[in-house]
Amino acid sequence: MPAAGAPGVGDRLGRRRFGGWLLASTVATMAFLTLASFFVGTVPIPFRVVAAILLHQASNGAVFSSPCAGTVPAFRCAAFTAIVWDLRVPAVLLALIAGAALGLAGGTLQGVFRNPLADPYLFGLSAGAAVGAAGLYVFNIGLRESNITLPLFAFLGAVVTGAAILAIAGGRLGSVETLLLSGVALSYLLSGVLSLMLLYNPFGSLQVSFWLLGGLTGATWDRVGVAFGGLLVAGSLLVVASREVNVLQLGDEVALSLGVEVARVRTRLILLASLATGFAVAFTGVIGFVGLISPHIVRRIFGPDYRVVLPGSALVGGIFLLGASDLAQTILPQTVLPVGVLTAFAGAPFFLYLLQRKRRQGTGGR
Amino acid sequence: MDGGLTLEVDDLVVGYGDRPALRGLSLRVEAGEVLALTGPNGSGKTTLLKSVLGLVTPERGTIRVGGTDVGGLARRERARRIAWVPQSEAPMDNVPLLEYVLYGRHPHIGGFERENAYDAVRVRDALAAVDLTDRADAGILELSGGERQRALLARALAQDTPILLLDEPTSSLDIGHQLDLLDRIRALSRGEGRTVVTAMHDLNLAARYADRIAVLDHGRLVALGPPSAVLSPTLLRDVWGVTADLRHDARTGLPFLVPRLPPAIPPEAGSATARPGPIHVLGGGGAAVSTLQRLVDEGFRVTAGALNLLDSDSEAAQSLGVPFAAEMPFAPLSDEVRAENRRFMLAATAIVITPFAVGPSNLGNLEDVAGLGPGSPPVILFVQPPWTLRDFAAGRVTPIINDLLARGASPVQGVDELLALLRARTLRARDPPVADAIRSVG
Repeated sequence: MPAAGAPGVGDRLGRRRFGGWLLASTVATMAFLTLASFFVGTVPIPFRVVAAILLHQASNGAVFSSPCAGTVPAFRCAAFTAIVWDLRVPAVLLALIAGAALGLAGGTLQGVFRNPLADPYLFGLSAGAAVGAAGLYVFNIGLRESNITLPLFAFLGAVVTGAAILAIAGGRLGSVETLLLSGVALSYLLSGVLSLMLLYNPFGSLQVSFWLLGGLTGATWDRVGVAFGGLLVAGSLLVVASREVNVLQLGDEVALSLGVEVARVRTRLILLASLATGFAVAFTGVIGFVGLISPHIVRRIFGPDYRVVLPGSALVGGIFLLGASDLAQTILPQTVLPVGVLTAFAGAPFFLYLLQRKRRQGTGGR
Repeated sequence: MDGGLTLEVDDLVVGYGDRPALRGLSLRVEAGEVLALTGPNGSGKTTLLKSVLGLVTPERGTIRVGGTDVGGLARRERARRIAWVPQSEAPMDNVPLLEYVLYGRHPHIGGFERENAYDAVRVRDALAAVDLTDRADAGILELSGGERQRALLARALAQDTPILLLDEPTSSLDIGHQLDLLDRIRALSRGEGRTVVTAMHDLNLAARYADRIAVLDHGRLVALGPPSAVLSPTLLRDVWGVTADLRHDARTGLPFLVPRLPPAIPPEAGSATARPGPIHVLGGGGAAVSTLQRLVDEGFRVTAGALNLLDSDSEAAQSLGVPFAAEMPFAPLSDEVRAENRRFMLAATAIVITPFAVGPSNLGNLEDVAGLGPGSPPVILFVQPPWTLRDFAAGRVTPIINDLLARGASPVQGVDELLALLRARTLRARDPPVADAIRSVG
């Protein structure tokens, strides 16, 4: 967020250029979209009923004493309440949280690798997380039902992948091609592993296919809570580190000369990006391109300062994934498309556009 | 900024194998001085700077700032003592200049803090010091090359360190911006007492701006001292393999080196006797400089005629290693000097009269040529510009010139013609001397 600092400093630093209203309108967009999303779904439920259910549940019965405020018969009310409060609301919140986590991870990776094409999906971080989570089911590890072990394993999968990328990239972080190709190769490899898990699958769990496709259907209140916790931890630590991400943009040697322990900071940032990715993927599966697009939109609107880019990417990532999820449910009647299909349709052309622009600008930098 | 601190490098060894970048280098930079670090490419200048910054890890040796061993310090602590202006920087986002300079405050701002009013003051001071206050809101990518280089300097200044290291800060700038940037750096050192070490390729700029010059070669310190003590043709030849002349700036007295053009025909590798000549050159007031230079470059042995010391021609003769009959500055030619000049003439295979201005004090040069008896060396005479314009001896010059021409002196229009004449005769008859050959042409 724009920093205020001592009187005059913020103004002198030109940070108010874009105005607080841009930020406010972004938050307002998110709030409006969130509210609107509660009314979107395959089961048609009257507007008044949804509103009544939301108000009743949110106020813990204080606003309306009966769940549906008498708008529908009790047996239908129970079904509607279950749909709205136990399915739609967690799904909407999970979309926001997972989108935020992916946006945050994307912004962080782009900062760490000084590369605008970095993204948890393209770099295989998401696939690594999915392999970690699916492993719980395939090998029938006893802890699989826990909403804690699932993100933990996803996190581990992502961390191992992140470490592999770091090792492959080595000291040559500037080389766009090396990094991108090794990330893509890793991503393919992990997708292959995931497919293998689906085929091998000795315990016949149907769950594995979920991580391949990606979706918000598995949302529960518990999972929302856990995912939010993960996002909060990763997000706050990343925002604290965002000034160092700024300095990293000057190059490793200059960053070192400015007192940044580059290797340590880089490791920490990738760990945090893996954490965010792991918590998102554990509950939503592999959803692509959210982490790629969000930071670009933020940079375009708010400028290149990572103190703004990182939290901004979380905001925009949440809006993007929730919007995609709403579209996935409404674009075809009576059909819910996997949300990853929507993000891919938006993301792949965008990626190609960036690649094209990058080629025109030459290599390195952005 | 409470002034600079000393920077001491002791027995620094960097790199492995049989070609280490630095081989036991020791150097002490005094507080508040500007030290220019020079040396050929690959001599270890950048490695030394990076070692001090902690960007490369030395095999051996210590680096102290104000007596504190910086090898044991955390990056952050080191960054509060030593700032760096890199030669260039990877392309980056279009950050506003003010933010960019603020990055220099990074080592002063704690992990959970944000920049305060003092940081803003330092940033503003740094921008003012490089004259970029007006550009504070411009994006870094929108700046011109000169402005970008000053922005790098401003960031290092905002870092507020006693030691400032610069790696060829002017290498991508035109001469105007080079002088401007170096003026600023020197002023900063004088004004705030910062200790400045700057790697530079241009020795003349180094002489102009540095208190002392350190010369590195193959990872060793080969010279250290004030410019006047360090700069010499010998050093340039030994370290860079360049032949140059040392001159002194007329106003400041500072030394500067003028590299020579490569000779058109490389001097023969054989002994001095294998080279043609000697050719005796008469001149004065700078008229003979180009002739002396070309003759030496073409491999002739050369002597020169009675010249006053401090005169341009005598300086040229000195720097070229041409023996000459030397008179005291501005004094009329004495009998002893004229006698010496005559001995040079008689030993020569040809006498060249360059179009120098002749007045009563140096008329002796021409009189002595005219007075040479039969069997003396042939005379070659520059006839451009006309001698009538060079006669400051009450009309006594022109008769002597005409007399010489009448007695068979060869007229030439300029240095090229002179060389063509000498070369043609030398090739046809190297021994016996060119004398007869030239005389037959004349």
